[in-house]
Amino acid sequence: MTEGRYVYCIVEGAQKAQLGNIGIDGSRVYAIPYQDISAVVHDCPAKPYESKDNEVVKDWVIAHEKVIERAWEKLGTVLPLGFDTIIKADEEKDPEEIVEDWLRGDYQNLKEKLDKVKGKAEYGVQISWDTKVISQVLTEKDEELEKLSEEIKSKPKGMAYMYKQKLEKLLRGKLEREAERYFKKFYGRIKECTDEIRIEKLKKDEELRQTLMNVSCLADKEEVKVLGDELDKINNMDAFFVRFTGPWPPYTFV
Amino acid sequence: MEPELDWKGRATLVDLLDRVFDKGVVIYADIIISVAGIPLIGVNLRAALAGMETMLEYGVMQDMDVKSRMLEVQHRKIKEISLMEGEEIVYRMFGSYHYIKGIYNAWKSGLFYLTNTRLLLYQKDFDQVVFETPLDKIRAIGIRRERSFTGKDRDIIYLHLQEKMVVRLNVLDTQQFKQKLGHLIKKAGITLDVGLPSEELEERTHNFLMAGEKIFCKEKMWHLMPKGGIIGETWKPGYLYLTNKRLCWWYDFESKIAFQIPTKEISAPVKERKDLSTVLKDKEVLDVIYSANGTKAVVSFSGKEIDEWEKVLIRATLKGSQAEDEERETCPQCGNPAPAKKLLEKGCSKCGWVSPHQKKKLEVIN
Repeated sequence: MTEGRYVYCIVEGAQKAQLGNIGIDGSRVYAIPYQDISAVVHDCPAKPYESKDNEVVKDWVIAHEKVIERAWEKLGTVLPLGFDTIIKADEEKDPEEIVEDWLRGDYQNLKEKLDKVKGKAEYGVQISWDTKVISQVLTEKDEELEKLSEEIKSKPKGMAYMYKQKLEKLLRGKLEREAERYFKKFYGRIKECTDEIRIEKLKKDEELRQTLMNVSCLADKEEVKVLGDELDKINNMDAFFVRFTGPWPPYTFV
Repeated sequence: MEPELDWKGRATLVDLLDRVFDKGVVIYADIIISVAGIPLIGVNLRAALAGMETMLEYGVMQDMDVKSRMLEVQHRKIKEISLMEGEEIVYRMFGSYHYIKGIYNAWKSGLFYLTNTRLLLYQKDFDQVVFETPLDKIRAIGIRRERSFTGKDRDIIYLHLQEKMVVRLNVLDTQQFKQKLGHLIKKAGITLDVGLPSEELEERTHNFLMAGEKIFCKEKMWHLMPKGGIIGETWKPGYLYLTNKRLCWWYDFESKIAFQIPTKEISAPVKERKDLSTVLKDKEVLDVIYSANGTKAVVSFSGKEIDEWEKVLIRATLKGSQAEDEERETCPQCGNPAPAKKLLEKGCSKCGWVSPHQKKKLEVIN
């Protein structure tokens, strides 16, 4: 019935710690040590957590995150695992042994990773702009666009439709190039004040805002302050919006 | 700027899901329980959160109860929007509003609040009221069934406001929304133009006619849109109009005319049957050949009355070539209308008037 071990994260230190009943479905969370690292787990049946009910899955996922955050707070540097990683026992060995076997086998790798992220955290940065405003600015500043836009005013309605289509197409191209230009600029600035940076898929923004950039960064407490200042500068630019999330356990950098 | 983990925001949950389903330390060993079902769990929940706007937009609703309940729970956690004195919230419902400004348009989703004085759409994540109207500015409510580009039909609410403004809304439960809204408006003592048939609503919202332009025919038609960037040709829903000046097609999704040709550029329509997509099979298609930039091009449409349209377009193109012959004039002597060509070549059949040029010719013969 409880031959599985749901693994939340690896922590530094040989802990036989008890973190309480803070796990998924209120499970008892504790640590299994091997030399100077430990795995934070709870006992469960040897099958994955699955549900069609999104509310349930949401609760599980949040519990998963909270356990990692707690371990981080109480025990030290953590290497988070993804949701639903369950080590199963086999006929001969206890589940504890299997966990230790794994820690032993992957020891070097895990130690290196712990070293890499010690004293650091992950941060998410999304930068978007108000396409409407940027388009207006572009149309005013860019010669080609301005000229075309003026021409439309004097055209009869029928022709104006076709000219407007042309303008739209031209504007789209210019917007794309501007987006690229800003991406490179911001990427450079953020890279300078963080340890590591990973480019993520662009997410859909709810407003008429277009997301230019979505990155995850690894940074320590000092770097984060500098990063915050840089992002402030960007956020203060007209029609630009910055979303700054964190500190996250370093999911992206392990 | 300080980093934040705002667990009340839906966006933060989406950030977490991306990390927790795609990242973290990986154990490459057969000591792990097979995770076949997990990608599906992730996708379902992420689609529910991140894709909610898309789902509301295109009416793709599966298992709505769970999803609406889930969002309800989230929304309950926030404080209510600020109301005016004496204002009470009567009803709330998830929905979206079609925002159009110039060439840009997008469906904005959020929570509709129906109070005793107004209707508004609130976006929690941005703490912003995206759309608002006092109840007494509402003139009429119409509902139209429209097909989204995913091929699914959904009900769009056309809210007619004062000053000839019309806004499009989409909500989770159209009938209930209309009923509640209608009820409140009645209570406020306002009478709506309820007699508007949905056909009329249709015409009002397609604003593209030029001065002196009249519609001869119109019909709901799919149109094969040409390649655009990385997207290949695709069939899109809309309305085909034949006017006294042009053949044009209104693209619902962008609320504008996406294709048009002057009637005289049309050569010939050709009928055929083909599959438009995996969903739309064996449909009648009308390929209209026309002149553009010195060469011939083809544009394709598909709808119910393709036979009728073929006839109509043939007539329209014939008329074009016979235009000169049939151009009507009036006899300068008696005012009898007759085709110009005939008047000039043969004279007026009524009073015997003959053009000076013709007279000369006859004199010569005589």
